[in-house]
Amino acid sequence: MARQAQAGDESAFAEIVRRYSPRVFSVASRFFRQRSSVEEAAQEVFLKAFTQLKSFEGRGSLEGWLTRIATNTCLNILRSAKRRPELTVSDLTEDENKWLDDQLTNVASEPKHSVEQHVIAADLADRVLAVLPPEDQLALLMIDGEDASVKEVSEATGWSESKVKVRAFRARKKIREAMEKLLSGNGKEPRIGGAIGNER
Amino acid sequence: MVKSLELEVQSAMKDEHVIEMLDSVPFGSLSKEQLTVVESHGQVCVSCSNAYRTAILASAVMKERLQSAVEPPPFFETRVLAGLREQQAVENVPALVRLWKSAGALVSSMAVATVALAAFSFAVPSALTPVSDQTASAYSAESVILDQSGDDQMTYEQVLSTMYSDDDEAK
Repeated sequence: MARQAQAGDESAFAEIVRRYSPRVFSVASRFFRQRSSVEEAAQEVFLKAFTQLKSFEGRGSLEGWLTRIATNTCLNILRSAKRRPELTVSDLTEDENKWLDDQLTNVASEPKHSVEQHVIAADLADRVLAVLPPEDQLALLMIDGEDASVKEVSEATGWSESKVKVRAFRARKKIREAMEKLLSGNGKEPRIGGAIGNER
Repeated sequence: MVKSLELEVQSAMKDEHVIEMLDSVPFGSLSKEQLTVVESHGQVCVSCSNAYRTAILASAVMKERLQSAVEPPPFFETRVLAGLREQQAVENVPALVRLWKSAGALVSSMAVATVALAAFSFAVPSALTPVSDQTASAYSAESVILDQSGDDQMTYEQVLSTMYSDDDEAK
């Protein structure tokens, strides 16, 4: 199919788009939440893939090749539209406060959320993740969010495994600090396990 | 004996901060033993307790972020192929034509403006308002500034004759 598409067969390329668009959409959904943004990114990915088909030598899988193009295309889109707003205390709404409280009180069991609560959480996630550079966001979402291995992230991005580890470490630290800033600004100081407060 | 061992373990836990551990692995991958160590240390260390709390929240937030994956719309491939044809059509047009398409309107309007200005500057004034040399020199800047004794100034005799000739006429 890839060879036919390489030769300029449009119907073969249409079949590639049909078969792999769920994968490309899933990759683009890591970066964008708006349907229109995901669709635009996916279209750009396939247009780029068509022009680069000649460079696909068939050593790896077509899916892996497309995943890499999708990842790099989405990173480029995010980089070009980069604006990292500083998180402020007023950013935390009452609903978000409540959602965060739920998470802390139900650490052991996974709390069940309504559709509305999912939206609240996803909005909060977007704003917290916005403090990170796109590359760090990607590493964190893949490893911590999707349970991907360092090797899988390395294959999807083309980065070395040590670079992936460093990015994930740095991203965890930054996102924790952002969360801490957000919570301390809202006067939330619940103690897990009843810390007694003699800081070292 | 057992109690002293427990105390030793607790003391070791107190000494070692767990923030590093929280940052180096995904929160979801922490084993039960690691979580026990983190929680025990959190009881005596506020900064690690806060780090643990925020790690829980960060992990939950990220899981939520990935819940809403967008599905491809029906006939997405048709849209991609249309985009592809559009791209190919743009690429097939020669570079000069593309340049003309984007900048043609601007270049044309500039050319029209230049021709109009040239016409107004050279052709129209000479055709509509012929200026004689005499008139031009009479009101030139030099004559106004330097020629203080104007021709239309009357002499004393002229003034007197004008005054008395009027009186004679009245008589």
